[in-house]
Amino acid sequence: MTQLVQALVLGLLIGGVYALMASGLTLIFGVMNIINVAHGALLILVAFITWKTWSVTGIDPILLSIVMTPVMFGLGWALYKGVLSRISGTSPGMSVLLTFGIAITIEGVLNVTAGNRFRSATPSYFSQSYRVFGISLPKAQVYGCLAAVLVLGLLYLVLSRTWTGRAIRATAQNASGAALVGIQSAGVAALAFAIGTATTGVGGSVLSVLYPFFPASHYDWISRLLGIIVLGGMGSLAGALVGALILGLAETLTATYGSLQWSTLIFYAVIMIVLLFRPQGLFGSRLRQDVMA
Amino acid sequence: MTLVDSLRTRTEGRRGTLVIIALFAALFLYPVVLPFAIYEQGVLLLAFLTALMAVSWNIVSGYAGYVSLGHSVFLGLGAYTGGLLAEKYQVNPLWFMPLGGLVAFVVATLVGMVVLRARGHAFVIITIALLLSMQVLVTNFPSITNGSNGVNVPLPFWSSDYQNMPFYYLFLVLLLATVAFAAWIRRTKFGTGLLAIREDEDKAAAIGVNTTRYKVLAYAVSAVPIGVAGVVYAYFLSFLNPVGAFALLTSVTIVLSALAGGRGTLWGPVLGGFVVSIVSEVANVYGGGSQSRLLVLGLALVLVVLFLPQGILPAVAARIARRQAAKKTVEYTDQTGVATKRTPIVVTPRSAPQAERTPAPLLEIRGAAKSFGGLRAVDGVDLTVEAGSITALIGPNGSGKTTLFNLVTGAMPVGAGEIWFDGTRIDRLPAWDRAHLGLGRTFQTTRLFKSMTVLENVVAPLPTASWGLMAKDAVSGHEAERARELLDFVGLGRFGDQQAGALSYGQQKLVELAQVLMLEPKMILLDEPAGGINPTLINRMVEIIRDLNRQGIAFLVVEHNIPLVLDLCDPVAVLSRGKIIAQGPPSIVRADPAVLEAYLGPEWLPAEPVPGAVLDQAALSAKGS
Repeated sequence: MTQLVQALVLGLLIGGVYALMASGLTLIFGVMNIINVAHGALLILVAFITWKTWSVTGIDPILLSIVMTPVMFGLGWALYKGVLSRISGTSPGMSVLLTFGIAITIEGVLNVTAGNRFRSATPSYFSQSYRVFGISLPKAQVYGCLAAVLVLGLLYLVLSRTWTGRAIRATAQNASGAALVGIQSAGVAALAFAIGTATTGVGGSVLSVLYPFFPASHYDWISRLLGIIVLGGMGSLAGALVGALILGLAETLTATYGSLQWSTLIFYAVIMIVLLFRPQGLFGSRLRQDVMA
Repeated sequence: MTLVDSLRTRTEGRRGTLVIIALFAALFLYPVVLPFAIYEQGVLLLAFLTALMAVSWNIVSGYAGYVSLGHSVFLGLGAYTGGLLAEKYQVNPLWFMPLGGLVAFVVATLVGMVVLRARGHAFVIITIALLLSMQVLVTNFPSITNGSNGVNVPLPFWSSDYQNMPFYYLFLVLLLATVAFAAWIRRTKFGTGLLAIREDEDKAAAIGVNTTRYKVLAYAVSAVPIGVAGVVYAYFLSFLNPVGAFALLTSVTIVLSALAGGRGTLWGPVLGGFVVSIVSEVANVYGGGSQSRLLVLGLALVLVVLFLPQGILPAVAARIARRQAAKKTVEYTDQTGVATKRTPIVVTPRSAPQAERTPAPLLEIRGAAKSFGGLRAVDGVDLTVEAGSITALIGPNGSGKTTLFNLVTGAMPVGAGEIWFDGTRIDRLPAWDRAHLGLGRTFQTTRLFKSMTVLENVVAPLPTASWGLMAKDAVSGHEAERARELLDFVGLGRFGDQQAGALSYGQQKLVELAQVLMLEPKMILLDEPAGGINPTLINRMVEIIRDLNRQGIAFLVVEHNIPLVLDLCDPVAVLSRGKIIAQGPPSIVRADPAVLEAYLGPEWLPAEPVPGAVLDQAALSAKGS
């Protein structure tokens, strides 16, 4: 029993972190219809910078996300304005190829500068745990999940309570309609991409503590995160949250009762089964497409 | 048809063919002339493999437009199939080449059947996931695959004096076979269907293309050559491990090659494969080793997407075409040619034998409903179209006419109600099955496949679901003849070889009609046939509709041009706020107060009731809105 509760709690903690990482991805897809394959590479990039800063200065890696978030916001903005906006209006296939290219470029840069081996930030609390009712809660997981929940809450407030957020959601639902009521869709797209990228500032910092990583880890991460948003329904924030919790639980449960190496495969199996019955994902909606053109 | 002919495509032309023949002749002679250029042969044979994979990738991602980012999974599957069996039974792996292709085919089919049913993005994501899962799977089954320790494949049976020369020829021949295979697919109905899916998937379904089957099959056949080559690759490497065999870097190379060379063209991916392999080898040697290779490939991919999105080959072809076009005198097309040169034709709808029978309901809509969120666009419609009639469906903008069309043709699922067509309940059938039953439609704004020629557009529809039909030549024999007849019938015979996108809007409407006629339909749904075209063409459209109707084809027409509707159609049904509010002969419907109210609002009352002229005015103001 304790074992099961332990696995469930750990799964939810991990799921919270996944939710944060996937939220940026699904936001970008919802607003721009772009699958940002570079999202995983950006996470690894942040993880590297965090790890480097921590190992040189000793500043807490998760706290560093306060700095990394605005940095990544700026990088996201620049990436959109400098690169992605050039192909807006072409087929979505091209944006996949472009972000794929960006991901590989980032991996290449990390390979050349940081070298191709595993790293992990290990602050003092790295191997410590809280014990609550006989369940052990690793401190790093708890802090990571808290940071994730904080950022997700902020994101939710921005999207639901501010004009900017409303403009973003309006563009996500109907770009030309939003343009008609005076929303500059190019500006909103840049903003959404920047916000989506900014979430990697926290996600990557947390990643550097929780998971060992090397430049090519981004493939693993992007396919997990894309799996989450496919499962939840592309473009849906609630879907990303649910998909992330399912992945977290699937991982810890298979690790507890089976073996860790099968956990990702179990998750993909879940995705395939869901897609078999709901091709649009759990929370995905099928809107009419005949009037879009 | 000779091999050379079949390898020729429109983009490359005759001079291009000569260049290609000369190039491949040189490649065949190269090891004979310079047998000791072992390093160069090694680079070239990997370029052949890359080109082969890019050509295969192009079938699903170029022709059909569904991008796969994990296509190297099939190389790994083929390699492991051949490698493991050869190791176990200590035989020559080359015997397992067909099996490698088969394994790739089966895996792609299974995965495709799950993710390719819906449109959109799940596919691209699952392709990456598939590659990574295979890595994990192969690592985690050490009892079968020897896990991360890898597989030792038997060494080549030939004398070491020959070095890699047999592999060189093997990959070269496989490459040529793959190109011939891709060229053949492009020529068939299957290939045209894939292009149709890339350009407009809903439209493709509406003209009878079983889009799910096409997409899954495209993915599956694009895996086969790679699976076959994978077996040879295993033999060539002589050692396999999970990370090397299922490498994402290989996928990157495939995508970059096809894209740089020219996605969707026949020879573009070959050119791209050569260029990318050689550039990457050069970067490897002079650019600081394999660490920087990734950086170079990534940057190259970004730059190609940004600055050369159509690829090298199409860019060069466009430049040559421009230079040649400058020398030619321009030939203008004119409307007079369209208006006068029209040949009569016998269009036999498939219900012809029963055409004599008394009018019976051909299409029956019972209580059909469809909501979008809170908006009930179609709210319990009952409508019957008699065989042999021209029934009109009119109503103000937003009354649900096009949505009703979409429900009937299967572009959208019904929320409630039943639809029967010619004795079959169709509301749960996919769009293509409805087309095969003899239900055709045109669209409010024309939706031709703009990059195909007019003739290719007209032969694209598939009147049946037969598998054999897919393998038939797209533009040849009886069908092409038929398509030309139909084009003559709508008066556009001269434009067969023009790009469909180059025609005027009205001409495109006529081509779309000819396209639907290829389905040999029993009934055609016309969505605003006269919208946005000039009066001459409207008259011609009316003439054509009458002609076809006399031959037994029923019509359901949505149109805002009320005088035209009242002249052409009988009966007329009026739709307002998702419901049928009036139905009957034109003379009765035009005086119906409910209809007037629907068009002009409840406040509007005529000073003195003038039955007849009123609805015509109403229509004018409705059109203006």
